[in-house]
Amino acid sequence: MNNLTLDLVFAAGLVFLGLYCLLFMRNIIKLLIGVEIIAKGVTLGFISGGFARDSVFLAQCLVITVIVVEVSVMAAALAIVIRLYRHNDSLDIRRLTRLKG
Amino acid sequence: MELILLIILAGSAVTAVFLHDLLKSALSLILASIVLAIIFFMKNAAYAGVFEISVVAGLIMVLFIAVISMTKHEGILLRESGFPLILFPVIFSLFAVAGIFVINRLMLQVNAGNTLQGTFGQFLWEKRTLDLAGQAAVILAGVIVVLSLFRKGKEDE
Repeated sequence: MNNLTLDLVFAAGLVFLGLYCLLFMRNIIKLLIGVEIIAKGVTLGFISGGFARDSVFLAQCLVITVIVVEVSVMAAALAIVIRLYRHNDSLDIRRLTRLKG
Repeated sequence: MELILLIILAGSAVTAVFLHDLLKSALSLILASIVLAIIFFMKNAAYAGVFEISVVAGLIMVLFIAVISMTKHEGILLRESGFPLILFPVIFSLFAVAGIFVINRLMLQVNAGNTLQGTFGQFLWEKRTLDLAGQAAVILAGVIVVLSLFRKGKEDE
């Protein structure tokens, strides 16, 4: 198993772990941790692919873009979490049913 | 060496998901970020490593810990019971094999395109200028969203 394949196995594992977290956890902060873990898997895949194809500069540019988007998403999501917590006094995702039709 | 780092990365990500205490989860995620940054450094991606440490392990984790301290610890791990954990390795193996197959096929189509000429700064400013404009727009949008969410309304008063 070469280095790229090994990295891709771990990157796929991180993405799978994040998806598992998103699907089966109820705590909103845990869901955001799942998003973080998916982003880590994606960036690992980018850098490994760039290193293997001799395009590390391009991979770094993409990773920096991913990180900047991640920061904005996290800041907005955590602000929403605080607002929701003040309204519902809970971090349980299943209690957020006010918009349910 | 890299295999050990990858195992530590995966282990800290797993503990971040399955630990009961949110604060310990966040600390475990910081460890994962630092290990990932070391892997980036080993692959000659120093700028990505610096961003990973300073922004992800620093800024985002500070936000996480602030939110965890502002909200009451609910203590118990809130997990759905519908997914038997014994299926976890099986589905993970399928996922990993599919990922490797798809990405290896896609890798053959990527042009390696002489990107190592010049410095990283030249490449970023000259060839990826649109990315920078997009990043500025995304940060501005994030700031506006956070400000609007914390704006005092009639309900708060």
